[in-house]
Amino acid sequence: MRSKAGIALLAGSLCGGLLAGGVLPKIDFPKDSPVSFIGADYGESNESARGGAMLLDLHAALSLRNSSQRRIRGITLIVTAQDVTPGGKGSVTVTSLDVGPAETFPVRIDLRLLRPLQVGASSPLLVGLDGVLFDDLGFYGPDKLNSKRALTLCEWEARRDRRYFKQLLSEGGPEKLQREVVASIAREADRPNVEVQMVRSGRATNFEPEKQVRFAFLNLPDAPIEPLDGMAKIAGNEARAPRLDVRNRSDRAVRYMEIGWILQDRQGREFLAGEVPAQLNLGPGQKGPILNDTALRFPPRDGQPFAIEGMTGYVSNVEFADGTVWIPTRTDLADPRLQKIVGPSAEEQRLLQIYRKRGLKALVSELQK
Amino acid sequence: MRANHPTEAELALYSGDDLSAWQSWSIRRHLSACSQCRHEVKAHRDGLATLHGSAGSEIPGQVNWQRLSQEMTGNIRVGFAAGECIAGFEKTIRPVRPRLLWHTAIVFAAVSVVSIGALSLNLSKDERDGLIANVGRIRWERILRPIRPSSLAQDAVVLEAGPTEIEVKSNGRALSLTHPRSDGGTVSINMQDSAGVRYVDADSGQVTTNRVYYAQ
Repeated sequence: MRSKAGIALLAGSLCGGLLAGGVLPKIDFPKDSPVSFIGADYGESNESARGGAMLLDLHAALSLRNSSQRRIRGITLIVTAQDVTPGGKGSVTVTSLDVGPAETFPVRIDLRLLRPLQVGASSPLLVGLDGVLFDDLGFYGPDKLNSKRALTLCEWEARRDRRYFKQLLSEGGPEKLQREVVASIAREADRPNVEVQMVRSGRATNFEPEKQVRFAFLNLPDAPIEPLDGMAKIAGNEARAPRLDVRNRSDRAVRYMEIGWILQDRQGREFLAGEVPAQLNLGPGQKGPILNDTALRFPPRDGQPFAIEGMTGYVSNVEFADGTVWIPTRTDLADPRLQKIVGPSAEEQRLLQIYRKRGLKALVSELQK
Repeated sequence: MRANHPTEAELALYSGDDLSAWQSWSIRRHLSACSQCRHEVKAHRDGLATLHGSAGSEIPGQVNWQRLSQEMTGNIRVGFAAGECIAGFEKTIRPVRPRLLWHTAIVFAAVSVVSIGALSLNLSKDERDGLIANVGRIRWERILRPIRPSSLAQDAVVLEAGPTEIEVKSNGRALSLTHPRSDGGTVSINMQDSAGVRYVDADSGQVTTNRVYYAQ
């Protein structure tokens, strides 16, 4: 199968300044891939010794071409350094694309790799393709990282938000659109930044006594899943092992869902801690549990130790057995609590950036495309 | 060629004018011909300048540096001394073997025989059978097995996510994904397997999501 690794290494050796050819990433796309690798610019990349370790600081701008006949809406590249982080891997996903046949587009990969000196120096990094989503929601790729689901969800959110902003434009003209965009930018600035450490299996700390805390739920009337009850274990700045009971209140079988997990600290501040996912096979009207043994730990915020006091959950997305998905509507997301906590979709982020960088006119013309 | 480069520590000391005159001269001579080390020294000096800048704005002027230095040195010495004190404990930890205290066991056995004898004279047959069954259920193998300390999960894979970077690390090895060309990102955690951050690239305007994963 595959291997355009040779081309990648050749391109790297032509473009790379400070890196030796041996440590450039190996780019390996399947032969029948709808995306082909054109070249790479490794700019300021370098590798240096740090004590008993080597630090690879890679800044790669890959140039890719759509070699299919369909328009590309999203792509996920998988980055592995198996010798360095056994079991661990990374991915870079670009969404809200609109790349026509034969058009080229860039994908940036900025990474740092810390490895012991004794680990072999040759090609520690492998960049591959995990999936490509087209505008007809068709998908190509090995999907090892569940990219199909993630890209499809992004595409549904993008369509929802484009429709919403177009509607604002047609109802109230550019002024109404601008008001909403400015409000969205203000909400983004006010949203708390979260830093979190995640460990699997068991507690990360033993210093604080642990208590069981019950979930409260935000009711989204149209959600096909109804959360019934839930508990998680809380110890100081650590939350772990959420357990939830849910019921399918739709008339279709559900195979996957995610519950948004909102945490509240002693000062009453709330933030979205993460998504609790579940692979299910839940027929209409059926109930089922969601279990997870991961622990989340939060560093001090504003110089004060972070202490978790309460938790809220809401249904953030659902995938039915037939492959279609449910996501919250803009009306659901207008709930004041959700609006403060849940970030904008990828498409909304892109539209806000167009407004910031190029102004209202550019945003209007983007929405009129 | 690489063997002739000064060490990282020497370059750092040189950048802060903390070397002897002879060492400084020797490194200066090397720098005149080595752009790589010059680059390192410049990076160190930039860092020092940044530190001095921030120190000037945040540290009050009346700090007694000499006393502070003495206190820090003292604390470090206390740390070393404490390390030496506990070093002996670390060396002597050995697996615990099951050990019976024979005197106690003999006394306990004698008391048990007398008690059981007295009880058996006063118990009905059903009660006697129940007692024997309960004694039989005691898991002797667990009583005799020594308690061993649980092994720490030293190879645990940890995912870390913040607005500026995400990282998967294990055993001193780490893979981080960063986004230097953006104004910050939105962190998202998937409790099943991954941590991510979404940002808009300032140059291309593309929305990119970086994620790191556990093994699958």
